[in-house]
Amino acid sequence: MAGDWGRRFGVRSVLWRHYLDFGVSNVPFYLRPVTIFFWSIFFYFFAAPARRAILSNLKVVLPGSSGWLNLARAWLTLYNFAWTIADAADYKLARTEFVYTVEGEEFLEQLAAAHGAILLTAHMGSYDLGAVVFAQRYQREIRMVRAPESDEQTAQHVDRSFERAGAGAVKVAYNTSSMALPLDMLNAIRTGEIVSIQGDRPVPNVSQRATHLFGEVVQLPDGPFMLALVAQVPVFPVFILRNAFHHYKVIARAPIHCLRAERGREAVIEAAMEIWSRTLEEVIAEHWSQWFSLVPLFSKR
Amino acid sequence: MRTAGTRPLGYAFALSRLVARSTGFRPRRAEFSGAEAYGLGLLVYGITCVFVARALAVFVRPLAIYFIALVILPFAIWIGSLLLYYINSLLIALLRRLGLYSAVTNNPFQHVVIMSLISLIALRFVFEEAVWVRLLGLFWLGLLSLNLLSIVIEKFVDEA
Repeated sequence: MAGDWGRRFGVRSVLWRHYLDFGVSNVPFYLRPVTIFFWSIFFYFFAAPARRAILSNLKVVLPGSSGWLNLARAWLTLYNFAWTIADAADYKLARTEFVYTVEGEEFLEQLAAAHGAILLTAHMGSYDLGAVVFAQRYQREIRMVRAPESDEQTAQHVDRSFERAGAGAVKVAYNTSSMALPLDMLNAIRTGEIVSIQGDRPVPNVSQRATHLFGEVVQLPDGPFMLALVAQVPVFPVFILRNAFHHYKVIARAPIHCLRAERGREAVIEAAMEIWSRTLEEVIAEHWSQWFSLVPLFSKR
Repeated sequence: MRTAGTRPLGYAFALSRLVARSTGFRPRRAEFSGAEAYGLGLLVYGITCVFVARALAVFVRPLAIYFIALVILPFAIWIGSLLLYYINSLLIALLRRLGLYSAVTNNPFQHVVIMSLISLIALRFVFEEAVWVRLLGLFWLGLLSLNLLSIVIEKFVDEA
């Protein structure tokens, strides 16, 4: 009984996705700030595990920060999360326009021109919207690897959303322990496609390795770098952050290369992961309120 | 999506566009302005809060309970607005079925209903005794009139 209730009304259930679509279709743009403000308060209490995860991550990202202030920061993070998913739904349903600026445009151009590449991003800002926009702007297909949804109906809804928003240019694959996915991705890269992967939190039963983030040892997925090494393609760190109402900023960083001839395989992957960790640190430190890693990444101290 | 700088500013309301035009910009119709979104949203929400709070003052006694009601009020208005969107959506579904409404989203209809309700409240405020309430009502009605006038002016300017 409780399980049924949880499946139907739980934070990750499809009900909230449907409600978000309803809200975007029915709430005029000028009433969204107020509506999102109150929904963020609701989810601040309703999604307690997510709130606790944000708090535990903030302790490490902002060392020495006040616990009380971090409670407000956790709310701000959820508020930003609500905005980004609302904007992505708005784009999907109404093709609403957004303004964006690009930092590191030369790297984005390189990515667009690459014959096979890995777009490495994080659970930051509107990564969903970013993939769709990139695919449409550069007329490139993107294979997006996502952490599996715990609810099957939610996963179907996400798939349909990408199909609708990206007009077929974004294909979603779920990161599971299956061996088929890495092979599919490898084939996609070798045929010249771009594969987008989120590299800021490990997925259970999926390859990961220890690296340093904010002075702590964390496990991050090493799959993107193994793929890059095998396929000999660059890894482009890209983030899309919300900086004002209907305004986004794309941050593209210099590609990370995993060259086969350099050193041993392990050393190459570890070095690449260190560069990725430094990039993540820089972006998260500056935009901590848009890091939507809703699971605790750092071990409890 | 648009790249900032390559396109002109975007405003949803004719009044904002006309003000921007008068200062040398070439804005277009788009929902890019945070000032419009946050400003108008707070004004609509604020007017609703004032209206309900003043109505409660007549019915809710004693004062302690009235203050508790005031604390709950912002949340109650939020929940009330969700109900309003839902009821309107049912009406829109009916209109769609009858072939009388065909917009992609329900937002245009919801916008007309909300603007009408707030304008009625503002009209009611104009006849209130408290000066600040009267001013609030006049401010809203002034903005509304200027926006309607801007729509007409914009139409003539675009045709010229």
